Amino acid sequence: MSKEDNMAKALPGYGTIDVPKDRVVPFGAVTPAPVGTQKLFQTSNWRVVRPVKDEEKCTRCLQCYLACPDACWVYKEEDDTLEWVGDFCKGCQVCIAQCTVDGALVAAPELDFEGGVVRLEKPF
Amino acid sequence: MAKVHEITVWARGVLQDKEGRDVINIFAKAAQAEGKHAQAFDNYEDLPDRVLVTVRKYVRLSDEEITHKYVYTNDKPEVVVICEATIVKGIDVLRGMEPGGTLIINTNRSIDDMLKLLPNANLLATIATVDADAITGVRTVDFSGSEGGVDTTGIGKGIAAPIVGAVAKVTGLIKKESLAKIVSDVSGMERGYNEVKIKHFKPAVAELVGAAAGSKTKR
Amino acid sequence: MMTGCRAAAEGAKSAEVEVICSFPIRPYTAIMMELAKMVANGELNAEFIHGEGEHAQLSVVLGASAAGARAYTGSSGVGVTYAMEIYSPMAGGRYPAQMSIADRTLDPPGDFGSEHTDAMSTRDQGWLLGWACSPQEVYDNTLMSYRIGEDHRVMLPQMVCQDGYFISHIPDKVTLGETSQVKEFLPPYRPISPLSLTNPVSHGPQIRPDQGAPMDAMRAQTFLAIPKVIEEATADFARIFGRKYDPFVEQYRLADADIAFFIMGAHSNTARAAVDKLRKEGVKAGMARLRWVRPWPTHQLAEALGHVKAVGVVETSTSYGGAMRGGNLIHELRASLYDLDDRPLVTSFMGGLGGETIWPADFDYMAGVLSKMVKEKRTDRYVYWLGM
Repeated sequence: MSKEDNMAKALPGYGTIDVPKDRVVPFGAVTPAPVGTQKLFQTSNWRVVRPVKDEEKCTRCLQCYLACPDACWVYKEEDDTLEWVGDFCKGCQVCIAQCTVDGALVAAPELDFEGGVVRLEKPF
Repeated sequence: MAKVHEITVWARGVLQDKEGRDVINIFAKAAQAEGKHAQAFDNYEDLPDRVLVTVRKYVRLSDEEITHKYVYTNDKPEVVVICEATIVKGIDVLRGMEPGGTLIINTNRSIDDMLKLLPNANLLATIATVDADAITGVRTVDFSGSEGGVDTTGIGKGIAAPIVGAVAKVTGLIKKESLAKIVSDVSGMERGYNEVKIKHFKPAVAELVGAAAGSKTKR
Repeated sequence: MMTGCRAAAEGAKSAEVEVICSFPIRPYTAIMMELAKMVANGELNAEFIHGEGEHAQLSVVLGASAAGARAYTGSSGVGVTYAMEIYSPMAGGRYPAQMSIADRTLDPPGDFGSEHTDAMSTRDQGWLLGWACSPQEVYDNTLMSYRIGEDHRVMLPQMVCQDGYFISHIPDKVTLGETSQVKEFLPPYRPISPLSLTNPVSHGPQIRPDQGAPMDAMRAQTFLAIPKVIEEATADFARIFGRKYDPFVEQYRLADADIAFFIMGAHSNTARAAVDKLRKEGVKAGMARLRWVRPWPTHQLAEALGHVKAVGVVETSTSYGGAMRGGNLIHELRASLYDLDDRPLVTSFMGGLGGETIWPADFDYMAGVLSKMVKEKRTDRYVYWLGM
């Protein structure tokens, strides 16, 4: 019961509303953004293939970083690498289409890898 | 109340939405032709208009009228059908299944490979694979029957045909002859029926393990 | 002396609103005309946006409120209903912007007289809904509504309603607040999750069906907490500005009344005069004036009207085909009185529709009907259409 549920305490008839803790929705349904930190909406299980990067061929042109609709390529400036955010990558392959170097980014069947997908109980 | 057989079909949004729905519609129509009571419906909560998102389709078969027709999901699927094999990595597809269930996957990979991806495979009495994409190579993309609409393009032209053939063979819930009257691609359906690879587990063992593991499905 | 429209604009100015979105429709238009002048003259430092319609107006203030601005808009009649889609998202997303309504009858056929049906049709969308009965109360409600709506126990949008023409266009005495009084009464708006570059958030995401029920329950829970906030704000207002309101129900000569009018808005002024006249004639009449439709003051009404023998609800809004086949207020009033052991007889009078005046003689007629009900101890009809 909300601390402010005063009417319910003071007056008969309204009862109280107990929302179970595990069902509480964020106030106003406002959630953290961007999607890279949005634990409520992990989309790795949309993936049939995953993008695999060849470190030797990659020129750090950052086209994949710019093109990804879900911010799943994160550029780490300090060691000049691109980190793939596997929990959210949907396998849409936009990054592969945008890649400027032949063979630097290729699609590989997700089933060839152990793990890497967040297993959910429901579709999303 | 007579036993209600629950079949849950998992497919991918847009690319397989129609094929997944064909599987359930073929089954329900065939069952109705056999004089059974049947229900077939999409899960409304899923997002079938988003490419590759996992979507659920449900069939219920019974000898008597199904009274829980507005219970929203198949909470205890007896048979689970996977139209695209990667789904088993991303979803607990056996969730809610009671020990002794059946899993049928559309894949060209081996049954043993698939079993490695299933943490709760001990629930299964039967697992089967069928390479539906190799049999027909057709995935119909059509939205006329989505969102509760009426399908105007016929059913069972693509991978749904071999998949329902395989499901009929593995489960015995429906006759091949009944399916043949409904699917467009009859030979594809028959190839699925004939080419499905099946592995049975000793029921006693499966049940013992399953009972020990328990079923924790209630929401 | 000023009109209700000017008083609303003065209220917004006192509240130092930061974003205003306008679109013209009689009779509320002058609120925006006045605000536009204030902004143009440099008296009010606000972003003034002209929307392309009422749907856009509400969308603009939703965004402004999400960004952390105190936002203000308004409308009348079919403008209120044209914006219908945005009411629930604004309340569900907890954006405490304010909408000032000068009531106008809905179409057809384009009668621009006052009638409460416009704002009443939004009553189930999760907003705070209050009615003023004078330009002074319009000004005061503007400040009180912001204070209540922006309270972190509430965080809901508010409608400040006044009868079109009667209040919006007929000037009356208004005392404006001093800056220091307003500052003491109304703290700055502090959003809970503002749009921010350093702490990015998603507003209005998709939720699943299994999150819908708890979301609704949490919104309902808030409405259990609001009455206390209203009481605090009304008491603080009286302390700071010296104008005292009953938080929920104005009770006029009600304590020993046998019959009572239940009414809200402009015509309560005529009702007060009618009560005085009836008292002189020996009829123990009283009046209960509703200040808030949402939250509905269930227990306060039971307390205020429980002892009365017959209540006549003066409707000023329509509910075609509703339980009593008349207006809206009778449904909720009857429900509020239902649990009393000895409850009053209740009937309703459809009056002031389409902008028509409710005449003093109408109140005499209503008092006659109510006295007859008391004598005969029964209700003959649920609805009387005045003049019909």
